[in-house]
Amino acid sequence: MKKSALAAFVVLAAAAIPTVAQQMKAENQVKYRRAAYQLMNLNFSNLEAMAENKKPFNKDEAARNAEFVTLLSTVPKGFFGEGTDKDTRAKPEIWKNRADFDARMDKMTNEAAKLPAVVKTGDTAAFRKQVHDVAEACKACHDEYRAKQQ
Amino acid sequence: MTPATLTIRVWDLPTRIFHWLVAVLVVFSIVTGKIGGSWLEWHMRSGYAILTLVLFRLAWGIVGSETSRFASFLRGPAAFFRYARDIVGRRHRAVIGHNPMGGWMVLFMLLLLLAQASSGLFADDEIATQGPLAVKVSNALVAKMTAFHYYNGWTLIGAVFLHVIAIAAYWMAWRDNRVAPMWTGRREMDGDGTQPELRATWIAAVILASSAGLVYWLVVVYPRA
Repeated sequence: MKKSALAAFVVLAAAAIPTVAQQMKAENQVKYRRAAYQLMNLNFSNLEAMAENKKPFNKDEAARNAEFVTLLSTVPKGFFGEGTDKDTRAKPEIWKNRADFDARMDKMTNEAAKLPAVVKTGDTAAFRKQVHDVAEACKACHDEYRAKQQ
Repeated sequence: MTPATLTIRVWDLPTRIFHWLVAVLVVFSIVTGKIGGSWLEWHMRSGYAILTLVLFRLAWGIVGSETSRFASFLRGPAAFFRYARDIVGRRHRAVIGHNPMGGWMVLFMLLLLLAQASSGLFADDEIATQGPLAVKVSNALVAKMTAFHYYNGWTLIGAVFLHVIAIAAYWMAWRDNRVAPMWTGRREMDGDGTQPELRATWIAAVILASSAGLVYWLVVVYPRA
C-alpha cells in the first residue's frame, strides 16, 4: 500500500473512534463514560489530597495519577451521543447547547493535560494551582450540565 | 409628662458574638461554596466553625441568659398570631428579647444551619473533595446528603433574605432599630421593663470549648478511627 494511502487510512480511523462511540448503544456509552469519570475521581482525589497537604507530595505517585487523569479526561467527550441522558444526571441542555458543552469539556481536557508536566517539575505551588484549575474546569461543566440528583 | 425610659441590657456578649460570627461565616460559606476549587477547603473549615457555634447556641438556649433561652421566646400559636396582628396594626408592644414571630424564625434558622453543616460532613462533589464522614456511610447516603446540602443551601439563603428584610422593615416601617441592640446589647425601653437575668460569659466559654472539642473529634479523630 502506498505510504500516503496508509497515512490517510490511519487518520480516518482515528477520526472514526468518537463516531463509533456515538453509534454504540446509549446504555454502554453511559457505562463507559461513567467508568472514565469514576477512575478520574479516584486518581484526581489523590492529587487533591497532595495539593492540600493531607498527604506528602510523592512525585512518582502523582505522576501516575496525573497520567491517568490526562488520558481518561479525553474519553467522556465521545460518549455523549443522542439519547444518552436517559436515567442519568446528564441534562438535556447538553444537546441543546452542544457547542458550549463541548467547549467546557475541552477546557477540562486541556487543563488536565497540563498536569503531568507540572508534576514533573516538582514545583508544589504550581502543582497546587494546576490541580485547582482542573477542579474548577470539572465544576464548570457539572454546575451547568449535571443534575443535582438523578 | 413623657414616660421614663430605661436602658435594658437585652443581649449578653456570647449571644451577640455568636450572631455576628455566624452571619459572617454563613456569607463566607455561601461564596466559597459557589466558587469551589481552591476555596472548598475554606468552605469546609467555615462549616466546621458554624457547626461548633450552632451547637453552642443550642446549648446556650437551654442554660444561657434569660433572653437567649428558647423557653423564654418560643411562644404558642395564640401569642404568635396576636403579635402578627399587632404588628400589622402598628400597635405591637416592645418585647425584651425575641418577639413571638422572630423567636420561631431564630429556631428555624438554627435548625437550617445545623442541617446544612451536618449534611456537609457527608457530602461529595465527585471531583476531588468529600466531607470527613463520607467514608463512614454508603454511597447512596452520600448522594442523598450531597443533594440535600445543595437544596437546603437555597432554603438557607431564602431564610437569610427574609431575616434581613424583616430587620429592614422594622427600621423603615416602625423606626425600630434592631441592629444596634444586637451589637451593643442595650436597648432603650419604656419604664416598666425589667432587666433580664444575664448569665456569666465564662459559662458560655466553657460550653463553646466543649462544642469545639466535639466537632474536632467528629471531623478529625473519628474519620481516622
